[in-house]
Amino acid sequence: MRRPMARRSTALVAAALLLPVLAACGSDDDSAASDDGDGNGRSSSLVIYSGRNEKLVKPILDKLEKAVGAKVDVRYGDSAELAAQILEEGDRTKAGLFFSQDAGALGALSKEGMLEKLPQGTLDKVDAAYRGSDGDWTGVSGRVRVIAYNPDKVSKAPDSVHDVVKPEWKDKVGFAPTNASFQAFVTGMRVLEGDDATRDWLKALKDNGAKTYANNLATLDAVESGEVSLGLVNHYYWYERVAEKGEDKVGAKLHFLPGGDPGALINTAGVGVLADSGQSATARKAVDYLLSKEAQTYFAEQTKEYPLAAGVTSPVEDLPPLDSLEAPDIDLGKLESLQETLAMLQDVGLV
Amino acid sequence: MNDLRIERLTKSYGPGAPVLQGLDLTVPGGALAAVLGPSGCGKTTLLRIVAGFLRADTGTVTVGGRTLVGPGVQLPPERRRVGIVPQEGALFPHLSVARNVAFGLTGLDRAERRRRTEEMLELVGLAGYGDRMPHELSGGQQQRIALARALAPRPELVLLDEPFNALDSALRAGVRADVRTALRATGATAVLVTHDQQEALSSADVVAVVREGRVAQCATPQDLYRLPADPWIAGFVGDAVLLPGTVGNGGATATTPLGPVTLAAPPGGRRTGTVVIRPEQLRLADTDTADAVRGTVTDVCFYGHDAMVSVAVDGMDAPVDVRVAGPLPIGPGEETGVRVTGEATLHA
Amino acid sequence: MTALDPAPPPPPRGSHQATDPGQRPAPDGRPAGHTAPAGRRRARAGRRAPLLLVVPACVAAAFALLPLGYLAVRALERGPGYAWDVVADERTLLLLGRSLGLTAVVVAACLVLGVSLAWLTVRTALPGARAWGVLATLPLAVPSYVAAFTWLAAVPEIAGFTGAALALTLVSFPYVHLPVAAALRGIDPAQEEAARSLGHGPLRTFLRVTLPQLRPAAAGGALLVALYVLSDFGAVSLMRYDTFTRAIHTSYRASFDRTPAAALSVVLVVMTVALVAAEARTRGRAGHARTGGGTARPAVPLPLGRWRIPALAWCAGVTAVAVVFPLGSLGYWLAAGTSATWDLDGLAGAAWATLGVAAAGAGLTTLLALPVGVIAARHRGRGARLLEQAAYAGHALPGITVALALVFFAVRYAYPLYQQLPLLVCAYAVLFLPVAVAATRAAVLQAPPVLEDVARSLGRRPLRVLREVTVPLAAPGVAAGAALTFVVCMKELPATLLLRPTGMDTLATRLWTETGAGSFAAAAPYAAALILLAAVPSYLLGRHRT
Repeated sequence: MRRPMARRSTALVAAALLLPVLAACGSDDDSAASDDGDGNGRSSSLVIYSGRNEKLVKPILDKLEKAVGAKVDVRYGDSAELAAQILEEGDRTKAGLFFSQDAGALGALSKEGMLEKLPQGTLDKVDAAYRGSDGDWTGVSGRVRVIAYNPDKVSKAPDSVHDVVKPEWKDKVGFAPTNASFQAFVTGMRVLEGDDATRDWLKALKDNGAKTYANNLATLDAVESGEVSLGLVNHYYWYERVAEKGEDKVGAKLHFLPGGDPGALINTAGVGVLADSGQSATARKAVDYLLSKEAQTYFAEQTKEYPLAAGVTSPVEDLPPLDSLEAPDIDLGKLESLQETLAMLQDVGLV
Repeated sequence: MNDLRIERLTKSYGPGAPVLQGLDLTVPGGALAAVLGPSGCGKTTLLRIVAGFLRADTGTVTVGGRTLVGPGVQLPPERRRVGIVPQEGALFPHLSVARNVAFGLTGLDRAERRRRTEEMLELVGLAGYGDRMPHELSGGQQQRIALARALAPRPELVLLDEPFNALDSALRAGVRADVRTALRATGATAVLVTHDQQEALSSADVVAVVREGRVAQCATPQDLYRLPADPWIAGFVGDAVLLPGTVGNGGATATTPLGPVTLAAPPGGRRTGTVVIRPEQLRLADTDTADAVRGTVTDVCFYGHDAMVSVAVDGMDAPVDVRVAGPLPIGPGEETGVRVTGEATLHA
Repeated sequence: MTALDPAPPPPPRGSHQATDPGQRPAPDGRPAGHTAPAGRRRARAGRRAPLLLVVPACVAAAFALLPLGYLAVRALERGPGYAWDVVADERTLLLLGRSLGLTAVVVAACLVLGVSLAWLTVRTALPGARAWGVLATLPLAVPSYVAAFTWLAAVPEIAGFTGAALALTLVSFPYVHLPVAAALRGIDPAQEEAARSLGHGPLRTFLRVTLPQLRPAAAGGALLVALYVLSDFGAVSLMRYDTFTRAIHTSYRASFDRTPAAALSVVLVVMTVALVAAEARTRGRAGHARTGGGTARPAVPLPLGRWRIPALAWCAGVTAVAVVFPLGSLGYWLAAGTSATWDLDGLAGAAWATLGVAAAGAGLTTLLALPVGVIAARHRGRGARLLEQAAYAGHALPGITVALALVFFAVRYAYPLYQQLPLLVCAYAVLFLPVAVAATRAAVLQAPPVLEDVARSLGRRPLRVLREVTVPLAAPGVAAGAALTFVVCMKELPATLLLRPTGMDTLATRLWTETGAGSFAAAAPYAAALILLAAVPSYLLGRHRT
């Protein structure tokens, strides 16, 4: 009596499994057909590995495709994972351009000699502070470390990250220790104040009962919900949330740190051209486009980031202009020494 | 003819665990042989070796002169032309009855296959059942289909592994008879493995009693019952009365507590031994009958078609059993005479 | 590998049945037709695994071992000393301890949930037992990261060990529930009745008679749960509970260094081998004794009496937290979010692509698992054991590690396939081979070996026996395994991200994109679609009864 039942469900499962396979086979042909014969150095199409989220950059990359006059395929992923993928691909990489969320991943590729030196004309468009010291990658947009605070619990947020380890903030601070921007900030602090001071600060942060979160968004959530009073985050998350919900519905405010405090570090998202992809010409055009006025304006308006080139200033309401920020003076190239930062974070027991 | 010859077959499951210890067995072509033995005697192992599911350590198996197992020869099961009828039938549950029967019919065209299938279904008395699924059949029907399936490819040898075990006793006799008829009709040599002596005696042409990995005796059912090779076999194939005996009269008779008994075979120089007779060879008699011994009834067990009466007799430690047909003339505690008829065997 | 020791001759049928004198113990106390030790040295004739089965099984095993080859290359890049330093680090060991602790707790919780629900829905007169049984398989459809996310959003305080354990338990207990329910249906109720007649109460009967027989099924499910927990990154990272996979990811993300990541991954492989070996021990010989059973009459459902309400509450409670809650949360976001711009085209495209790759993944995985599962079920000995273990070897590795391994090999040896669908499908096969192997093995075990003997005596060669008897009989179970694989392929994220054809999106990658951009409301439709689509095969799994 059970057999026919089992048989019927077998048939159902088999049918359910087979149908999409056929469909997939069909669509497989499409993608195979669209795949160009790569690696010949003359390819006019461009493959971008983007560590930046599709929701943030797809519109501008669509425009980029028109601007460079070539077919552009974008592969989205996590910046670090894509960097690992490119390293694993080696000289057979499919990527012509790597669009990274942060400087660290670009630095890792630069260190392995995977990136091609950019033309001086391109490099000159961006302040030397926001590009690689070897001239093989450049920043495209910037984001600032800020302190988010819950106005119901805090009347005035502290002006320095050194204040958040004071007893008055015990158990009230949230941060995301595995977040690349946070780690870049710690690296910045090491560059500015030395390893010993940084280690002491991290220990104090931990001893002060600061709470760790998975990422900036979760940290911001915790601030909004009042789980913590202060959060060490990037500025644009707040602006995006305001755009999504309306400012009155966001239960957090931002404080930009003055006086060159390490907590006010500016991180960059950037691009580098892969040396071995045979797509250099198109990729270089793409870099120039990303530094153009159109693209820079896009970053300013849409992703609420700071434009870094073409003299564009951000039109976002309430966003302090880049020039007005009292960011620490740091060579972003040195942020590649992330490994030591990581060791320190592990040492202290934060990751 | 497709006679089965098994010679010096050995098989052990690890040191100190011998199962077959040089088993010899010959079954004439077309005969139905029963391999009878207690649990663990190695009869199932024997069957699996002949079928090719298990490899023997040494020994040979031939069917009709064709070597299935021998030095350097190990035919895979599918090339042996040996059909099996497992316990409980083991029909393929995913195939219809007809497709079960036709399973072994390869190399035939479709019409031929259908004809043969129908022929086999008819043979086992289940014509018209071809479209059913196995789970729609009764146990006895499943067993008969299993036989039809095994016989369909005209195997030279059919092995039946306790095929009637799962059937209740009312069904058993019927199915057993059907199977015997079907086997006769095809003329295949068959080996029936069983632990049931009644089944062996009633359905087989020859019965081989297997004990501790050897054939202890191989004979026709009648001879086996009448002339068992030793007291153990006598007791295994039926009820037996064992009496101490002394040979007399030039070896023609033996003297026992029940009086003189005629021996079926010369005692071979033996002076004393155990005399084996069957309960039905004993008769109850009046106490004053001349050739009867006196005793006291200790117990009566009634079976319907007959009854077993236990009688305590002088010179015997245990009561002797007397099979009595018809109405019971006597009850426990009463005195009776017991006398012996027919021939008996004498053993060391 | 070709000299696979054959299995001992299995008993013709139901060797546990006392009515079967032919199978009573031999004089030395061994079971007569069963005699397992024989298989080790002799009896090569009947049951040597046919070469045509061994070769594809070895191919499947080699496939599953690919990541290990990669790990060896990368871990030893800077010499064994460096790799050892990474592994022997105090922090590494601490994380390993935390991972194992989490695994132990989740496995224990899954056993409690899975076994209790299986027993209630299969053996008792629970009202709506069948429906509850189906509901208990639906959590399979919920990706661990979605479960973690919904809990975190509703109860932020839960973050940490509690949250990670909760989320992982709620999505993985069906791995225990399904095989245990199947095993429960196969147990002869006469045994339980005998125990009751010998004066054991229902609880004692369950503990002393039923539970021991469920051990192989429960252990098999527990193994999958354990490996799943060890490999999980999504749920633990959301729950901010640092585990061993976190150390691996940190190595990639913060230091862009593949060598320590590989060295750490090797530790996971070692753990896996140990767990698989432990599971094999719990099987003992039980697996082989589970033949026949088809004749067992259906058990009379145990009346629950005054336990009826608590039992119902238990089922309802589990269903509520494992199924209703995540779906409800998603529904809430769907309704609440303003950024819920329903991109129907994107949703349909991603759904279609998801179904396609998951189906292809399930198909290939099942195909590869078939020879391994058959050998694991029908043959014993070192070779067969190694084959099965090889299939499991990479199962505890995080998806990112497996993905990078395939990048490594594809770029070098199969460049035309790189970033094409077939490679992604292969990645699914590597990742989920054990899921399908476990299902296939169980399904083949259900098919009485005597039927294979009969087929051979009727003139079929071993491979045709496989095709015409074993596979059709095991088909429902194999299909169930395929459905399960289908579900896990649908939910897969890290390998899909790295290996998908450029421009292709599955529901899981869309979900990742949307949550990465911070718009949960926009992510909700994808999560909901993923769960609803995955619920279909899960539902079939729940209805499927072997």
